[in-house]
Amino acid sequence: MSEVSLLARLKDAIVNLDFDGSKHLAQEALAKGIPPNEIITKAISSAMEEVGRKFEASEYFLSELIVAGEIGKEISQMLQPYMKDAEIKKIGKVVIGTVKGDLHDIGKNIFGMMLEAAGFEVIDLGNDVPAEAFVEAVKNHEPDIVGMSALLTVTMVEMENVIKELKKAGLREKVKVIIGGAPITEEYAKRIGADGYGKDAVVGVDICKAWIGKK
Amino acid sequence: MVLFSKLEIEKPSELIFGSAKHPLNYGLGLNVGKGEVIPEVKFFPRVFSDKDPIGFKTEVQTITRDILDRAVELGIPSLQIETELTFMETKNPRLAAEIASLQKWLMEKYFDEHGIKLGFRVTVADIRDFREGLRTTANYNLMMETFDAVSSNGADVLSIESEGGKDVFNHSIIRQDIEGIVFSILLASLDMGFIWKDIVNVARRNGCIAGGDTACAIANTAMKLAGGVKSMSLPHTLAAIVRAMSAARSLVAYEQGATGPGKDCGYENVILKAITGFPMSMEGKSSACAHSSLIGNIASACCDLWSNEQVENLRLFGGSAPQVFLEILYYDCKLMNRAIMLGKALELRDMLVLSDKFDDPQALVLSPDVAIDVANAIVSEYGDYYRRVKSACWKIVEILESSSSLRLSLPETRFLSHVKNIIDSLPDDGETFREQMCKTFTGKVPTFQEKDYWP
Repeated sequence: MSEVSLLARLKDAIVNLDFDGSKHLAQEALAKGIPPNEIITKAISSAMEEVGRKFEASEYFLSELIVAGEIGKEISQMLQPYMKDAEIKKIGKVVIGTVKGDLHDIGKNIFGMMLEAAGFEVIDLGNDVPAEAFVEAVKNHEPDIVGMSALLTVTMVEMENVIKELKKAGLREKVKVIIGGAPITEEYAKRIGADGYGKDAVVGVDICKAWIGKK
Repeated sequence: MVLFSKLEIEKPSELIFGSAKHPLNYGLGLNVGKGEVIPEVKFFPRVFSDKDPIGFKTEVQTITRDILDRAVELGIPSLQIETELTFMETKNPRLAAEIASLQKWLMEKYFDEHGIKLGFRVTVADIRDFREGLRTTANYNLMMETFDAVSSNGADVLSIESEGGKDVFNHSIIRQDIEGIVFSILLASLDMGFIWKDIVNVARRNGCIAGGDTACAIANTAMKLAGGVKSMSLPHTLAAIVRAMSAARSLVAYEQGATGPGKDCGYENVILKAITGFPMSMEGKSSACAHSSLIGNIASACCDLWSNEQVENLRLFGGSAPQVFLEILYYDCKLMNRAIMLGKALELRDMLVLSDKFDDPQALVLSPDVAIDVANAIVSEYGDYYRRVKSACWKIVEILESSSSLRLSLPETRFLSHVKNIIDSLPDDGETFREQMCKTFTGKVPTFQEKDYWP
């Protein structure tokens, strides 16, 4: 099989969400000596673009976008040992967490997975995260972005507290802050001094990518 | 252990609001499922109990009094109040007992002074930390202590939204992983078999009723993720399938001795009512204060208690939000009860059903005819937690595929075919499935531990 057709089959397998088939084809591509970077650009990235287009066109569900992202991530990890350090650089670093008092983290998890699929390094602090833990994580990991989620109106107020604590620690200007969750609005984000509001995970990731692009 | 090998309500025409085969009498003269629908109101205080326990108690007292005052103003004859404890209160059995006692004292006062019939449900939070294990941990014991504290201090009905299998479910649902979802519901069933033995014992010891459990952590998560009609976050057929399968899980409480009324957010309760004949609480359009859904009318078709899910204690023009939502619930109930008195209940039920039934797959599952088909699929595999989940899945997929009135989009029909292929490939016996899935999820979901379910 030619290099072109092998990469095309790999792309199709990812678009069709065929986990095992994709891994098998990626291994075959490596065995044929196709450079990892070429596998990433011509198969994985191209497949992700196609899946993204299908999602935008309401042909695919968000959950399918996530599955495709996971396949892409797994294959990329498989390729890493064959790549030079410079080739595996992440596009940015994001600290995420669901704020104190709130245990509803599925939206935050989806956001995290989609960030990883987009090439970010993600440090997930989990749920019920106090302001001090966000501050500590910013000190330790020096992320580009902090993402917070909340599902309850009674817990969303904690987001403002986190921003205040970041200011107190002198860290606010070093990071962008994005917030999201069912009760959150653009207006609320502005009011508490967040830089962005992701109405869903897809929008949130687009905002993060735009921020990194502007740097 | 009670095994339901056949349905208690077999005819769709008998699966109807206000009437259960096994009605209940409890609390301060309350009759549930005996010919009328009763409002069940639930609230969410604004004060955090861990920051200000005295302020919290005062707020709960005020809310309870507000609710009872509005009930008297409107002439509501029967009412159930639900208090859902948060993590903070569940971790503090003494506080939970004080709150329950205070609320019951007020209820007794209004019962004595105004003759209003009252029931009091307390829902305890599942405070177990999956990282520490699910059984015989300090948090498990604390949770049972709180069940004991509230049931010996005034609660009439005990409920929980137990979370067994939730970690595996959360991992699986966002990946549309059907095998993982089936496995998580099997885990949830096993977990419920364990905890409901203890809850039923606590209830019996303190002379109160073991109500029921809901698949909130599973089926409502799927519903929430599926979102509105145009949302493409998750297939709505998947949310419908998860709902049907979840009934096999929530049934475990009744097998262990719970008698209803099932808790409001278990939309699978309509299927459980057909299987058990016990009265059920439901929520729908009047719970828009807590969350949006596409099943607002159809959810009331078979209810015995009609709930608002939960409303924050905010001030509105018409009073406090719990008062306002009680009033909304009451008028919903009045309409249903008048229909019963006029012999028009079936007509009203069918209108409620048809107003939602074909607009979304999640509504179709709650239709009495479909609920009975799913219920039959579950009891046909009674006693086998795994096979009955699979059976419910098969049945609802078949129903969704064959419905000529339900218009599914191409991605939805594509997804249904995918589910069929997966279910087809699942092993027949639970033991093989267990081995396969434990191998898959051990390590992949960090909190999943086989010994929590198969000690």
